[in-house]
Amino acid sequence: MQQQPSKKKKIKVPRVVDGIETMVEIEVDDVEGPVWGPNDKHSLLNHHLQRVDGPIKVSGVAKYTYDQRVPDMLYARILRAPHAHARILSLDTDAAKQIQGVRAVVSATDEGAAAPKDGATKQPVVLFAGMPVAAVAATTPEIAEDALRAIKVKYEVLPHVVRAEDAMKEGAPKVEPDGNLEPKDKRGDPEKVAADLTKCEVVIEGEYRTPIVHHACLETHGHVVDYRGGDAATVYASTQGTFTIPGDAAKTLGLPQSAVTAVVEHMGGGFGSKFGIGIEGQMACRLSKLAKAPVHLMLTRKDEFLFAGNRSGSWQKLKAGANRDGTIVALNALQYQLGGVADGSQAGQPYIYNIPNSYRERIAIHTHEDGSRAMRAPGHPQACFAIESLVDELAYKIGMDPVEFRKKNLKDPVYHRQLDRGAREIGWERRNKTPGGGAGPLKRGIGCAVGTWGGGGNNQCKVDVSIARDGSVTAAVGSQDLGTGTRTYIRAIVAEELGLGMNDVSEQIGNSKLGRANASGGSTTAASLAPSVKDAAVKARLAFAERAAPLLGGAKPEEITFFGGTVRAGGSSLPWKQACAALPAAGIVAHGEWVSSLQASGVHGVCFAEVEVDVETGHVRPIKMVHVQDIGLPLNRLALESQINGGMIQSLGMALWEERVMDADLGIQLNPGFGDYKFPGALEMPELVPIIDDEDPREAVIGVGEPALIPAVAAVPNAVYNACGVRVRDLPITPDKLLMSLMKEAKI
Amino acid sequence: MADKLKPESEAEKNSSHNPSRRRFLKGVGVAGAGAAIADHLLLNVEAKEAGTVQATGARPAAGRINLALKINGQKRNVTVEPRTTLLSTLRNHLDPPLTGAKLVCDAGTCGACTVLLDGKQAYSCLVLAVDTVNREITTVEGLGSPENLNAVQKAFVEHDALMCGFCTPGFVTTISAYLKKNPNPSLTEVREACKGNFCRCGTYPKIFEAALAAAKSK
Repeated sequence: MQQQPSKKKKIKVPRVVDGIETMVEIEVDDVEGPVWGPNDKHSLLNHHLQRVDGPIKVSGVAKYTYDQRVPDMLYARILRAPHAHARILSLDTDAAKQIQGVRAVVSATDEGAAAPKDGATKQPVVLFAGMPVAAVAATTPEIAEDALRAIKVKYEVLPHVVRAEDAMKEGAPKVEPDGNLEPKDKRGDPEKVAADLTKCEVVIEGEYRTPIVHHACLETHGHVVDYRGGDAATVYASTQGTFTIPGDAAKTLGLPQSAVTAVVEHMGGGFGSKFGIGIEGQMACRLSKLAKAPVHLMLTRKDEFLFAGNRSGSWQKLKAGANRDGTIVALNALQYQLGGVADGSQAGQPYIYNIPNSYRERIAIHTHEDGSRAMRAPGHPQACFAIESLVDELAYKIGMDPVEFRKKNLKDPVYHRQLDRGAREIGWERRNKTPGGGAGPLKRGIGCAVGTWGGGGNNQCKVDVSIARDGSVTAAVGSQDLGTGTRTYIRAIVAEELGLGMNDVSEQIGNSKLGRANASGGSTTAASLAPSVKDAAVKARLAFAERAAPLLGGAKPEEITFFGGTVRAGGSSLPWKQACAALPAAGIVAHGEWVSSLQASGVHGVCFAEVEVDVETGHVRPIKMVHVQDIGLPLNRLALESQINGGMIQSLGMALWEERVMDADLGIQLNPGFGDYKFPGALEMPELVPIIDDEDPREAVIGVGEPALIPAVAAVPNAVYNACGVRVRDLPITPDKLLMSLMKEAKI
Repeated sequence: MADKLKPESEAEKNSSHNPSRRRFLKGVGVAGAGAAIADHLLLNVEAKEAGTVQATGARPAAGRINLALKINGQKRNVTVEPRTTLLSTLRNHLDPPLTGAKLVCDAGTCGACTVLLDGKQAYSCLVLAVDTVNREITTVEGLGSPENLNAVQKAFVEHDALMCGFCTPGFVTTISAYLKKNPNPSLTEVREACKGNFCRCGTYPKIFEAALAAAKSK
């Protein structure tokens, strides 16, 4: 622990804003810090640990934001605009206010309301169907719903556009004053690519589309704002960022930021959609301020579909050429990202491949649709589906094994290792040797795809580990647990360092009055938080050793070890509680900071999928999926396996079922509910094999929430091709599309 | 059952002297699944009665009633409007509340609000509280406590059959009831039993594992 503050080094770390990450360079101390030690030498970490919040969650005792009920609390509901593009001419809330039990009403026409305004008339405008225009707080949720029906809004309906193709047309209704197309980036020399493509022996050209899909967090967005007109407020939030709440809420409540405490005890899923308080949080704050009473405002399921974000769609026009030996030579990619009123996101092509000569152009197309937000691996599944479909097509056209073709074009040996492992697990040799071949209408096929992610951390978590005289140990930090198992690994790191069991340590998280922590985006939580927890735990152990030394026959502090609930040196040993009794009344409090060497960045990830296609009905049944993921040091194998399963399942949904369906004429979503928006259910589940790639030698923490989702979205369509010999380039692969493609290619 | 539905005296006093179709519809409207239908009917009525809302002063017409419910073996009294769903009653009206059953879709599609009525699974967002008088209501809290989990809850923890945990009470309740009916199910039967419950984090494979393990442990 020699401090040499003069020695610094520069490292690249992710900076995440609203779930979208960019890499930045920071300077850190270049000192010998704590180390994790070999991955296979841990007593708790890298084992199968049960979730510490499991018992309270399975018994319904865990309190989510939705479950908060504070005294005198009101319930709020939001009124949504029915039009895709309109000007609000008048908004009359008088009748709503007269309903017995209604305590406050706010709207887009209120002075100071955060609503988009028409540049000329200064009237509030509606930019997509479902945009919130008013909110009501009442004594029961039922009365709040009555009050919404009593609000009278007069709209001047304006022309709208909700399809990317229509938005590009001349004279299309404008979403932004400057037009609907917004160039994002350009890279490479298009003329040189075009010249190279003419020389290639094999060329594939195709348009690839991915749908707009929804996060569909089971706990909807929302808050309970407990403000009674005093000088402080508590905001319970269903959020991925405890510390993204107080500033936003304080601004709306008119309080200093320090007067607002955010509480996130448990939260029911975010997947990238829950940063900051949002329009619903602003409305809850305004209602609470007006009523001088706490307000519970959780979105309804329809609200959630219509204005709580989504994953941007994509439309990619790719043309690639390769030589007969299997080398990809050139690629031209035009990438449209479809984010509605927002920008959308898309990883730039050629994604993971090193293609000697490539050109790409990314353009956002704006439409009158709810803006996209970050969603688990923003931009990656879209890019992965397009390039990994194209690569598959090239392999088949050349007549090469798709696994060997990928290995030829991917230099990184980790991909080779993972492709071989995945191929072994799925039984790659069982694939359909002739796509579409075989007798009978049920055809089986296997496909694969690869992805990549960062997953490193940043210097943004401050953790306190305290040891009390009664032997109790607590780790405290304001961070949040999205269901990833944050609570569990915090406890495991501290328990392992102090030689204790999981039940000997407790953790406090989800409160903005505790040590600062980053928002959970970009798979940066574990790699930001775990090093700080480890640092605090090591410091607590060293401080304890100093105190315990005199009790152990004057041993030197560095000779003292902590194991099996005892504190030992030489031949002497003390039970933990007995040693703690010698602590001063205040116990020990150790403060941990981020240590860059305890984390790493950069992961791969390979998925293999097997499907069965019924060529008579167009139905695709997933049979088996395997995902191989490098992780560095796996903090908790049980939770990581669950997370990899979850990634495969969400990706599978995007490949086969999920899609926001819009009515172009009306500009409205046709499936804003679980009855019509189809996501993966129990009956569709294939056999899932999550594999942690233990050949990754890094003794460092890396986040893998996002990479687990990426490649399946291409592996499944590639399996569909292998099964029935037909390529569907437009996700999701629903029976209608597959049957049309089969008919076009005369396979039936 | 009518004798259980005694209107409050205050509600009686407030009840309208000139009932309108609008008020009648509000009275029968359901906050959850029925809302879509009630919305539709109300819109039509509202269109015809445009302007009368302000004149008459819109207010909920049906009044409130006292109910005595049997929940998790205890008698619980609660005062709600007749249109209130069992789910809303448990979460928003009962004092102290029972928030184990989750409100997720409020339309009978996801199963997060699953409770047992006389031992049989029911979506509590599709049931009116008034219709559960004289029935045994069991919520996830009634199946086991953190210190004393039932076999299914225990297996969920051991097999990591939960991530964010918001769908978990629904799955636990569904499977607990199913295993009573079929104590030794196959994987296919477990999947079939779970088809009315949704999970977004992707815990299905571990839920199946947990259900099969719970069956074996009994």
